[in-house]
Amino acid sequence: MRAFRSWGAVALSLVYLAACGGGDPAEPGTGSPAGAPTTKGTFTAVVSFGDSLSDVGSYSPATSLAGNGQPPYFGGKFTTNDTSNGTPTATPLGKVWVENVAASLGLVVTPAQVGFGTTSVACPAAAVPALAASCTAYGQGGSRVTDPNGIGRASGALTVPVVTQIANHLARFTTFKASDLVFVYAGSNDVFTQFGAFTTAAAQIQASAAAGTITADQANQQLFAAQTASQAAMKIAAQQEVDLVKSQILAKGGKYVAVMALSDIGDTPFGNSLPANVKPVLSQLSQTFNLWLRDGLTNQPVQIIDTYAIFKDGYANPARFGIVNNTVPACDAAKINAITRGAVTDGSSLFCNATPGAPYNGLRTGADVNTWQFADSVHPTSGGHRIISSTFLAQLQAFGWI
Amino acid sequence: MTRIVPNPTARFALALAALAATPLACAQMQSAYSENVLKIGIARYDPHSRTDGVHGIGVPAGADADVGNATTLLLTYERMVTPNIGLEFAFGIPPTIKAKATGSVAFLGDDVLSAKNIAPTAFVNWHLFSPGDAFRPYIGAGLNYTRFTSVKSKLASEAKLGDSYGLALQLGANYAVNRDWGLFASVARLDVKSKLVATGSTVLTTTIDFRPLVYSVGGYWQF
Repeated sequence: MRAFRSWGAVALSLVYLAACGGGDPAEPGTGSPAGAPTTKGTFTAVVSFGDSLSDVGSYSPATSLAGNGQPPYFGGKFTTNDTSNGTPTATPLGKVWVENVAASLGLVVTPAQVGFGTTSVACPAAAVPALAASCTAYGQGGSRVTDPNGIGRASGALTVPVVTQIANHLARFTTFKASDLVFVYAGSNDVFTQFGAFTTAAAQIQASAAAGTITADQANQQLFAAQTASQAAMKIAAQQEVDLVKSQILAKGGKYVAVMALSDIGDTPFGNSLPANVKPVLSQLSQTFNLWLRDGLTNQPVQIIDTYAIFKDGYANPARFGIVNNTVPACDAAKINAITRGAVTDGSSLFCNATPGAPYNGLRTGADVNTWQFADSVHPTSGGHRIISSTFLAQLQAFGWI
Repeated sequence: MTRIVPNPTARFALALAALAATPLACAQMQSAYSENVLKIGIARYDPHSRTDGVHGIGVPAGADADVGNATTLLLTYERMVTPNIGLEFAFGIPPTIKAKATGSVAFLGDDVLSAKNIAPTAFVNWHLFSPGDAFRPYIGAGLNYTRFTSVKSKLASEAKLGDSYGLALQLGANYAVNRDWGLFASVARLDVKSKLVATGSTVLTTTIDFRPLVYSVGGYWQF
């Protein structure tokens, strides 16, 4: 009995499948979407559903300089926040990809909801009538696909799940329009949640194995079962997202719909902090989500933007994108801890201000928001977001949408 | 009983025509040798499987599976178209084959996969010596079709194994106890290759080259 692993053959078959687009009907996840528009759109709005990566400032009140939830804010987005446009404003200047994409289409996009803890306001931009329809950035840090218990909810984050984000949009606008450029980019917080469940289970299993109450084989079997359970949860999350895309976006008028696959969270400072035998579990949760996302969206009239491949390429070739550091967070946890008077100890970029010379600047000494990829353990700097938005724009161009 | 020895070439053509239409068409014809051979025996399905590795999300390097042996009842019918050449159709009661996890996932244990395989095989056999001889070795070549049913995996809620077509070779011998009855033993080598797709929380795939040797012993009746 010998094991022959032929990665070359696998790679070739993947290329072949990609080329023919059909996939193996007997093998889930090898097909592709079909039937999305191939002509340029006339866009009047960017409608974005998701999590912290797409959050354009939902939690700004948590970064109130006065500490009372009122502007001015020193942070608010999960990136290197920039308030250098004169005095700090309610909309800090460090941009995330959603804003960059909207700007390149000549559009403005603002948070659908702003608040923290028990207080929140829907569409604050509506105070300026011309911006009333701009509040279509629904992404919130910590949000999951359908579970309202997102990451950070216990400490005040709203974490409105994507299912509710879409429902809120439909409540406000009734339908999607052909002039909406719709993005759905969620699931990473389901990865973190399931990864947490796995590591908790794994710690217990390893403790039992170390204590000799279970054999090594039993430990392996239990670890396998724990991993399978976390993957099964990712499968469910992906299938729920697919259902939302089909029944709540496509069936409600959505025409230009791009759905993001998940990137490999192993390729982050957080991922690199994990033991070598645990990190793959994290990567595989994204892969599992992507598999079932692709399976569910096979032959659906959407486009998938495969951030797994795109980010992996960027992570492996930082210099090509002008990145000189993709291992150290640009935000300094100690500075943020001091700025927030001990309230934020994990260096979350939500509280990271990068305005040169500002007393609340939380950047690590020597860090550069344009050439360092990560703001904190998982989120990109504003430079990282600019790279993301340009690759996404290139994808939209390849689709023929812009 | 009057036996007619026909022109071999004409007989061959006739036999083919008969096979194409109905074998009963020439049932009236008597020949110098028994035209029909029915065999019944025990077959040991002994795979020497190898795979291209198990592929899928989270499958550790070196994960593999090994297909175990199976034993089944073998039935064959052979139509002798000349004294030395026969067309044999072999099939068995579908045995349940099982695979165990090996390599880096050996902890997953036995029976990670089970399936029934239906494997009809057609051979053209060449028999040595003459119809009257007690001991007649034969060699054959032909085609095997294998279809897997009741495919189950404890690792997946759904499992499929693709159909397989491949070359079949055999080596055997008949030993005549009397004019109608005898014993046989044979060993056959089949090309059976199938892609497994096991779908659970993720999707596992592997292409299994079963490389089975089928050892058979039993009795025959010819008429």
